[in-house]
Amino acid sequence: MSKEIATPMAGKVVSILVNEGDTIQEDDEILLLEAMKMETTVYATDGGKVKKINIKSGDRIEEDDIVMILE
Amino acid sequence: MHKYFKQMDSLGKKLNDNFKTRTSDNVGDVEKAEAEITAAKEKIKQFGLPAEKINSRGELTVWQRIEILVDKGTWHPLHTLYNPAENDDCTTNVVDGLARINGRWAVVIGFDNKYLAGAWVAGQPENILRVTDLAKRLNVPLIWVVNCSGAKLPEQEKFYAGRRGSGTTFYRHAELEQMGIPILAGIYGTNPAGGGYQAISPTVLFAHKNCNMAVGGAGIVSGMSPKGFFDKASALELIDAAKKNQSKPPGAVDVHADETGFFRFVFEQEEDLLMAMREYMTKLPAYDLDFFRVDEPKAPVYPAEDLYNLVPMNPKRTYVFEDILARLTDGSEHMEFRPGYGPEVYTGLVKIDGLLFGCIGNRQGLLPKGYPEYADYPGIGGKLYRQGMIKMNEFVTLCGRDRLPIIWFQDTSGIDVGNIAEKAELLGIGQSLVYSIQQTDVPMMLVTLRKGSAAAHYLLGGPTANRHNAFTLGTAATEIYVMHGETAAVATYTRRVIKDNKEDKPLEPTIEKMNDLVEKYYETSRPMFCAKTGLIDEIVSLGELRGYLEAFAAAVYQNPKSICPHHHMVLPRIIKG
Repeated sequence: MSKEIATPMAGKVVSILVNEGDTIQEDDEILLLEAMKMETTVYATDGGKVKKINIKSGDRIEEDDIVMILE
Repeated sequence: MHKYFKQMDSLGKKLNDNFKTRTSDNVGDVEKAEAEITAAKEKIKQFGLPAEKINSRGELTVWQRIEILVDKGTWHPLHTLYNPAENDDCTTNVVDGLARINGRWAVVIGFDNKYLAGAWVAGQPENILRVTDLAKRLNVPLIWVVNCSGAKLPEQEKFYAGRRGSGTTFYRHAELEQMGIPILAGIYGTNPAGGGYQAISPTVLFAHKNCNMAVGGAGIVSGMSPKGFFDKASALELIDAAKKNQSKPPGAVDVHADETGFFRFVFEQEEDLLMAMREYMTKLPAYDLDFFRVDEPKAPVYPAEDLYNLVPMNPKRTYVFEDILARLTDGSEHMEFRPGYGPEVYTGLVKIDGLLFGCIGNRQGLLPKGYPEYADYPGIGGKLYRQGMIKMNEFVTLCGRDRLPIIWFQDTSGIDVGNIAEKAELLGIGQSLVYSIQQTDVPMMLVTLRKGSAAAHYLLGGPTANRHNAFTLGTAATEIYVMHGETAAVATYTRRVIKDNKEDKPLEPTIEKMNDLVEKYYETSRPMFCAKTGLIDEIVSLGELRGYLEAFAAAVYQNPKSICPHHHMVLPRIIKG
C-alpha cells in the first residue's frame, strides 16, 4: 500500500535529504525548505521505502503538496 | 519532592549517522570560527611585557597569580576581548572571571601588570563596573589582585572622571560592602593615587612586602610645584627629587602595616599571599550546595560534541532547541511548563549540578498549524507571538516566586509585526514581560546561541535587564543587531530608490549604499565585535558552555539573598498538575 508524504508549509525546496529506494522512519528529516527567510527541516509523517519523489531542488511548493510516496 | 526532581522527563534525542554526516560541514565551520576566537583571546593574554621579563624582576604576572589563586579547572574568564574604548595598544588592562577559590565561588579580577604596571586605561572603568555588578548580582565575594600604577596619564581625559569613570569603582566597593559582600585584595607592586584607592577600598588587604599604596606616588611627590613650564633647571631638580623619593615611595609596608595597620597581612613571597587568600576564603559565608540540591549532580546523557552538529552557523538553518538543551542539562532531563501553549518558546525546569533552574529558549522552525492563533499566516520559530510572550510572563513570575534563577537561550529574529500583531497586543505583552522580569529578584544568565535581534533581544533576559542579568555569553554563531542588514537597507533606502526611479535617475549609487549597509551590519554583528563592544561578556566554545552553566549554578546558590524551600515551590506542582 502506498503512503503519501505532504509538506506542511509552502516554500522553496533547498535540498532533498533522502533518495528513491531509501527506507525511512517517521520523524526522519526528508526536506529542507526555505520560507520566511529561514531554512526549515521537514520531517517524515510516516515510515517506509521511498517509492517516488515528486519534487526537485529549487522547486516552489505549496502547503499540502505531495512531495513523496512511500511503499 | 524527590518525585518531582529525581526523575524528570527525558529531553532530546541521540543524533543519527545521517544527521551527523549532513552536518559535518557545520562542525568544521564552528571549529574554524572558534579557532579564530581562541587565537584572538590568546593574543590578548600574551599582550604587554613577556612573562619572562616580569618574572626576572622577581614578580609574577597577573595570569600566574590567578592560576595559583583559583582552584584548578574552575577559571571561567569573562570580558577577555572587551575593549569598548577601542584602545590600540591594549584592551581594558584588567583580567576577570568567575572561579572557585578553596571551595568557594568568587568573582576574580586583577590588573594586567604586563602593561604599564597595571595602569588605568580607557574602557577599564566599564569593565570593572561589570565585575562589581556581577558580584552584586551573584552575591559572591569579589577578589582583587591589585597591582595598579594609577592612571595612564597621557590619556586621563578618557577615563579619570565622570559618572562611570575610574573613581566609581570605589563607590561600588563601598556599595558591595554595605550589602554584606566581602572584597579581598591581594596587593602587589606600586599603587599610587588611583592605584592607592584600588588597594584601600576593599575589605581585607593582603600585602606583598614590596608593595605600597598611597594618595600620591613618588612621581607626584617629586614634582608637586611646577613653574608653569619646564626648563633644564627644573628638569635637574626633578631628577634629584625623584631619586630621593623613588628609593622609598610613600605608603610602603612600614607605613601601612606597622603604622596605620591598613594591611591586615604582609607576606614575603608572592605565592604565600595567594595561598593566604585561598585560606581566608573559608572564613567567608557560603552554603554547602547540598543545602539547595534537588538531585545528585549528573552529566548530560548526550555528549557536548553533538552541539557542533546541532548549532547551525548558517543563520537561516533551523534546529530543535530541546536537542541542544539535552547536551547541557543534568541527565538530559526537564519538566516543561505549558507544553503546546506558545510553541515558539520553550519554558521549563532543568537541573545543573543537581541545582534547579528555570530555562527559557527560542524554538526554531515551522510552528504547528493554526499558530499564531490570531492570524491566518504561519508562525515560524525564532519569532515571538502572543502565547509565547504570555507564557514567558507567567514562567518568569513563577520562577521569581520560587526563587529559581533563570538561564535564557536566545536565538530570535524579533516579535511578530503588522496590524494583526498589534491588535493581538504584542507591543503591550512584550513590555509586560519586561515588567515581569523587573518584578523578580533572581539572578539570570543569557546564552546568545545565535541571533539577538529587534525588541525581542531586550525581552529575553539580555543585558538590558541590568538588575537581573549576571552575564551574557556568545558563541561562534552569535550575531546581534537591531535587524538583519538586508532589512535595514530596505528600511533605509526604499523611498530613495522609488524617488530616483520616478525621476529617471540611475539606481546604482543607492544600490551601492544598500550593499555597503548590509556589509556594515555584517561586520558589526559578528561575535568578536559583540565581545569587543560588550554586547556579550564572553564568547565561549560550544564545548565550554556546560562549564559556564555549572559555574553560574554554583555561584548563584552559594549564598542566595532569599530562599524558597523545595516543598513550598509552586511551579513544579503547576507543571505536574
